[in-house]
Amino acid sequence: MTNVARTGQTLLVVASSMLFAAVTSAMVVRRGIGGDWVAPELPVCVWATAVLGPLASWLVLRGWVRGAVIAGGLLVVLQVLVLAELRMAVIGEAFLSVLVGAHALHAAAGVAALARWGERAGLFWHFVGALWIYVLFLFGVWA
Amino acid sequence: MAIAILIAALAGATLALFFQPRWWFPEAISAHARAYDAHFLVTLCVIGCIFVFAQGLLAWVIFRYRDRGQAVTGSDGSSALEIAWTSATAVIFLGLALAGQGIWAGVHLEGSDPRALHVEVLAKQFAWSYRYAGADGAFGRVDVKQIDDAGGNSFGIDAKDPKGKDDLTAAVLRVPVGRPVELHLKSRDVIHNFFVRELRLKQDVVPGMTIPLRFTATKTGTYEVPCSELCGLGHHQMRSSLVVMTEEDYAAWLAEAQQKVVLP
Amino acid sequence: MTLFSTDHKVIGKQYIGLALFSVFLGMLLSLVMRFHLVHPDTKVRLFQMLWPEGAPGGQMTPELYLSLMTMHGTIMVFFVLTTAPQSGFGNYFLPLQIGAHDMAFPVLNMLSFWTTVLSLVTLLLAFVVEGGAPLSGWTAYPPLSGLGKITGPGQGLGQDLWILSIAIFCVASLMGAINIIVTVIELRAPGMGYFDMPLTCWGWFVTALISLFAFAVLLPGGVLLLLDRVAGTSFFIPGGLIVNDQVQGRSGGSPLLFQHLFWFFGHPEVYIAILPGMGVISTVLSVFSGKKVFGYKAMAVAMLAIGGLGFVVWGHHMFISGMSPYSSVAFSVLTMAVGVPSAVKTFNWLATLWGGRLRFTAAMHYALGFVSLFITGGITGLVLGQPGLDIYFHDTYFVVAHFHLIMGVAAVFAIFSALHYWFPKMYGRFLNERLGKIHFFLTFVGVYAVFVPLHFAGFVGNPRRYPDFKEYEFLKSVTGLHMGVTHAAYFLAAVQLIFLFNYFWSQRRGAVAPGNPWGATTREWTDD
Repeated sequence: MTNVARTGQTLLVVASSMLFAAVTSAMVVRRGIGGDWVAPELPVCVWATAVLGPLASWLVLRGWVRGAVIAGGLLVVLQVLVLAELRMAVIGEAFLSVLVGAHALHAAAGVAALARWGERAGLFWHFVGALWIYVLFLFGVWA
Repeated sequence: MAIAILIAALAGATLALFFQPRWWFPEAISAHARAYDAHFLVTLCVIGCIFVFAQGLLAWVIFRYRDRGQAVTGSDGSSALEIAWTSATAVIFLGLALAGQGIWAGVHLEGSDPRALHVEVLAKQFAWSYRYAGADGAFGRVDVKQIDDAGGNSFGIDAKDPKGKDDLTAAVLRVPVGRPVELHLKSRDVIHNFFVRELRLKQDVVPGMTIPLRFTATKTGTYEVPCSELCGLGHHQMRSSLVVMTEEDYAAWLAEAQQKVVLP
Repeated sequence: MTLFSTDHKVIGKQYIGLALFSVFLGMLLSLVMRFHLVHPDTKVRLFQMLWPEGAPGGQMTPELYLSLMTMHGTIMVFFVLTTAPQSGFGNYFLPLQIGAHDMAFPVLNMLSFWTTVLSLVTLLLAFVVEGGAPLSGWTAYPPLSGLGKITGPGQGLGQDLWILSIAIFCVASLMGAINIIVTVIELRAPGMGYFDMPLTCWGWFVTALISLFAFAVLLPGGVLLLLDRVAGTSFFIPGGLIVNDQVQGRSGGSPLLFQHLFWFFGHPEVYIAILPGMGVISTVLSVFSGKKVFGYKAMAVAMLAIGGLGFVVWGHHMFISGMSPYSSVAFSVLTMAVGVPSAVKTFNWLATLWGGRLRFTAAMHYALGFVSLFITGGITGLVLGQPGLDIYFHDTYFVVAHFHLIMGVAAVFAIFSALHYWFPKMYGRFLNERLGKIHFFLTFVGVYAVFVPLHFAGFVGNPRRYPDFKEYEFLKSVTGLHMGVTHAAYFLAAVQLIFLFNYFWSQRRGAVAPGNPWGATTREWTDD
């Protein structure tokens, strides 16, 4: 990976982290003052998707990019299915929708980048995988 | 050269504007308002000095070092100077910040006065209404479903709550002079803002919140209340009045108004 | 195909072109507003032709005025002050000044420009859709902006398009910011350290860092607001609202939450607009004084300090919003602290002039004018930064005067200075110096005449965002003042035609410039 590609991806990671941090802090505030917070329940099959990110990362590191693209693509499809189940009128689920939706866009971009640039886009993908675990953790444990 | 004169002239014209009497604060009608004016004057003197010093220096430097074929002499850096002007400005700016905390604390950080007259203020697009607790000193429950602007119940006072029977609503805020008043600001739709220039008080009225605002008016009169947070197409017409009355006038008005209370 | 060129110089010129279009559009909107403020009952056929719904019979409605105000602010802040200094000049000159042959990601660069164009087109579409442009101001506070058409005519599709436009703009700005930061970090010429870069590069670098964090917060803020409007969520909409006699079925949202997200972006945005200009002014003052910039390192560090502190002062926009009065105390101290590096920069500019031999070119005139305006606009921040004093001035014309001087006019003077300074590099010809100076003098007098009196309307307590002042007894005293300001605004707008003529005429007919016409030492003049 060239320095330019690495620095560029690092900055993208910083910007995305900031975006997720903003939504997270909005959620903390909104949960604290709203008085109408109900934690969304995540079925076990959603938890299982946590492995897909690291799996794809492992495949990238092993040099099997096509496998990583399949694993990443599967994650995006499952995220879209999760989104379809969420109700926007319930505030906890609305926040979950925003985070899942934002993550799905990141994951789709990450998959496209893997397909286009292969291992050179690995850094961003590792971040995407970790970010998904963060989102699940946020709702599974904290919310 | 010409620009040095122009900078000096414009700075002078700006200063001169401060000596016209027409466009200035209205009369102060509370202890807070007078404290406000005093601290503003201090701040104005400080920033006025900075203004004159900085613009004057700029004009002078431009004039002094205009190209007359002279050799370039100045230096390109000095740690001593950097430290000097950094600490000088830090002291002045932070000093102002600290000196001004008193008037903020006076409005927002002091507790409720037990003698205070409590009035609920309700803002909606594009009108104000005020609710007094009545003889029992307690506000009745409100119920969104019972809101009826045409029937005079814009607060939605619950007909089933006995405490609300004597609640008095009005379109103008009337208070007795010299008595502490505590407003409870509420909005029914969007954000509005309650502003009384003569009290030097301004507070956003935010839906979903009840925000307290305390004052003690020391001069009778009628004062305009302009909405000061953009609230829609009638924002500029969302006008109300504060009437500060003598104790006797206030008592007379209250007694008369109380008799007319007809509840839905 | 040059339209989709990936050459940083072409893209830089495209951004400047976009900003030029936007600034004249924004200025025309402000003229219509200034006219209406002093002649609220005059019917104008042109208004009816332009806005049949908003000005029936030529009589401007309050909602049309408010929508013009919203669009004026949005266009000026985003498409002028954020694009020209940073994306325009930054694109063109950053690679040249650090010895890179282009930006780090040329294709991304092209994409960010066209994404910005898409954003502008989306915004302008709001003028022509049903109900017209939104009326909730450039700050778009919910619930006014979050409930749809029920809160006003432009609050339907117009407000949706507005939010969409801002979201797209965020994406474009993030792409641009990443490009500039990577270019600075990775593509500096061999041997050039960070503290060897010209201050212009520091300006663009710090601004890009600010953009990276600020727009990454505005983007989700906009998305949440859009969802409140179209998906029935309650992020910012509290329960129990009755709007237009209709009960809104929402619960628990917080209007203040939006303000926090917005101003976390909104305050740093001020520095996004002004820091690149500060870099330009430092360069121009130094070149035409025949001296190095005084206190180079202090200047660079001051920029970093402004960028960093700029992120912890957003609460000063919310002193009277109903947030905790204790946090106001903290925000106030931090706000006064962010004034210190700005003052330090002013002292360093004066010291740069000190002992020099000043050559009064047109670019130098604008730079000196910038310093004067920066002082005048900056010191009123010492009033507004104190929550106690802000109580009275919040949302009055005092604030309007303050931010127009410091953020609007000062930044525009930096753009003028940069154009006169770099035009020979960009077009191989000079902008006409005589016209430039005439334009400077008239504009300088004009901006003082427009904005200084507005402070005094603020002293009277004149609220901003009022389409007319007829309802209030106390506002009768400011009609004369506003009449004067409106005429000064006509004058100010008219003299901009001098600049416009100079800009286009000089591209073809201006005096041919030599390679390094000003005797500068930075690489864009000395290389090749």
